[in-house]
Amino acid sequence: MSSREPAEQPGRHRIGGPTITFGESVNTDVIIPGRYLVSIDPAELAEHAFEPLGPEVQRRLRASRVVVAGRNFGCGSAREQAATCLLGAGIQAVVAASFSRVFFRNAINTGLVAVECPEAVTALAAAGGEGEMWVDYDEGTVETSGRTFGFAPYPSGLKEILRDGGLIPHLMRGIERDEQREERAAR
Amino acid sequence: MNLVEKILARASGKPSVEPGEIVIAEVDMLLMHDLSGYLTSGVYDKKVGLPIPHPERTLMVFDHHYSPPTEQQADVLHHNREWARRTGINLLDCGSGNLHHAAVRGGFVKPGMIVVGSDSHTPVHGALGALAVALGNDSHAGTVLPYSKAWFRVPETVGIELHGVPRPGTTPRDVALWLTAQIGEGAMNYKALEFTGPYVKQLGFWDRWLFPLLCVDLGAKCSYVEPDEVTEAFVRALPGGLPDDFPRGDGGEAASVLRFDVSDVVPQVACPPTVGNAKAVSDVAGRPVDYAELGGHGGGRIEDIRTAAEVLRGRTVHPRTRFNIVPSSREIFAQAVREGLVLALHEAGATWFPPSTGSNQAINMGAMAAGEAMVSTHARNFPGRNGSTDAEMYLASAGTVAASAAAGEIAERSTP
Repeated sequence: MSSREPAEQPGRHRIGGPTITFGESVNTDVIIPGRYLVSIDPAELAEHAFEPLGPEVQRRLRASRVVVAGRNFGCGSAREQAATCLLGAGIQAVVAASFSRVFFRNAINTGLVAVECPEAVTALAAAGGEGEMWVDYDEGTVETSGRTFGFAPYPSGLKEILRDGGLIPHLMRGIERDEQREERAAR
Repeated sequence: MNLVEKILARASGKPSVEPGEIVIAEVDMLLMHDLSGYLTSGVYDKKVGLPIPHPERTLMVFDHHYSPPTEQQADVLHHNREWARRTGINLLDCGSGNLHHAAVRGGFVKPGMIVVGSDSHTPVHGALGALAVALGNDSHAGTVLPYSKAWFRVPETVGIELHGVPRPGTTPRDVALWLTAQIGEGAMNYKALEFTGPYVKQLGFWDRWLFPLLCVDLGAKCSYVEPDEVTEAFVRALPGGLPDDFPRGDGGEAASVLRFDVSDVVPQVACPPTVGNAKAVSDVAGRPVDYAELGGHGGGRIEDIRTAAEVLRGRTVHPRTRFNIVPSSREIFAQAVREGLVLALHEAGATWFPPSTGSNQAINMGAMAAGEAMVSTHARNFPGRNGSTDAEMYLASAGTVAASAAAGEIAERSTP
């Protein structure tokens, strides 16, 4: 196993912990059923995350920090709550072989780290299926089962959105900065 | 440049764009239904709260509800109506029809537009030659409502070229379901798909519609049919008519083209658990069905209702099955009345529902108990989407749905 701990890397964007693994083409009706879509509260949504798979999966989800999945994770409906409910359940990152494009967009916009790294998914499966996984989205690395894998780092725009906790906080922060600049200029 | 590239270049003020490039483009229309509208407006009020300079560029359609069954659902619609009044956006209330059909019928979507929406089937508007992409609520609340803008990565385009003349009894819906299985779910992630070839070109507008509808299940970002005389004649008859000027592709072939011969395609049923799990109707014939429904994004067209009336002529709905018909818009219901289809199907034992999106997600209708099954023209069949996770949804053409309603089990329409 890697000897590096998150505490040794202050200021770095290294996140992760225990994993929960799903298969291929996990759809958004399984992640969060349509009947709960009137809510946008992450904690409330988290109570129903993966409900169709039963209470045991839900319990394991809450004990995990990283969702690991095969290809086409988050296919189906475009609901943003598929990302928010995972954040509410304490998930920090999703590492998949690939994502449906709408899930990926929604994940970034809500501040959930989503990483395509099929090699890490395969390595975890080969090592027995569950364990720990750590993502450093500045470096573009995923660590699991004692090995480190690279992934194409996010463009700087997406890193900034994630750092601010999602698209809207990011935009609002930008507006605040503009207003402060205008105020200074007016003085 | 092809159509998608032309539209993105025009909307981002650039002479040209290339696949892979990220552009910030002007959005012409935001489409929301009653559920996504509730969320987007909530996010907007709580987290954004800037003025909406172009409320005329947003349309909300109440299509998951036609009459709210609970106080909580009534609250959702009440909130949405109040928000629409306050912001000045367009609202089509309960009974208007399916979001996408009502948007087209109302003249809200035109060729060359950039259309966005939280509904994952938003790309269906590529049937008109629009660039239509599903985004999420935060994109809509954060960038589309206050700035009429969104960022897009210019997608690579794949041509889907369809040749051949299908056998009698095989409809465009069957070809579309078959194609999903052939290409594979998620296989076209991030791509733009151009549906083309002699088979597509000879179809009428509402039959072409069924192809961009399925692109989300292939993973595509958007898809389209290059506007031609069929598109122009259709759009000319809509409110607002045909725009004077709109982008068209250069006519060059996509870098990658997949060619299919549809001559041997037989009627298809997409079986649970996914849309890509399409099989020949004959492989699943005999599966008892509790519900049959014409409705949803892909159904409730006048073509579907006419087909059902033909199939049920001189027959009645099987006692085991409830056959529910959901017109896709008010115009289609009126058309069905004029053609005598409403009485004919009513007397055959079918039940008419208000124009809406029908059983989609079982918000106002269409929940099933464990062990029950439905065959429908809907767009999705994930377990749990219609009540119990142990209920089954089968997706098929109107002919198969009507024949199954008459037989009480999944059945192929006898060849006309």
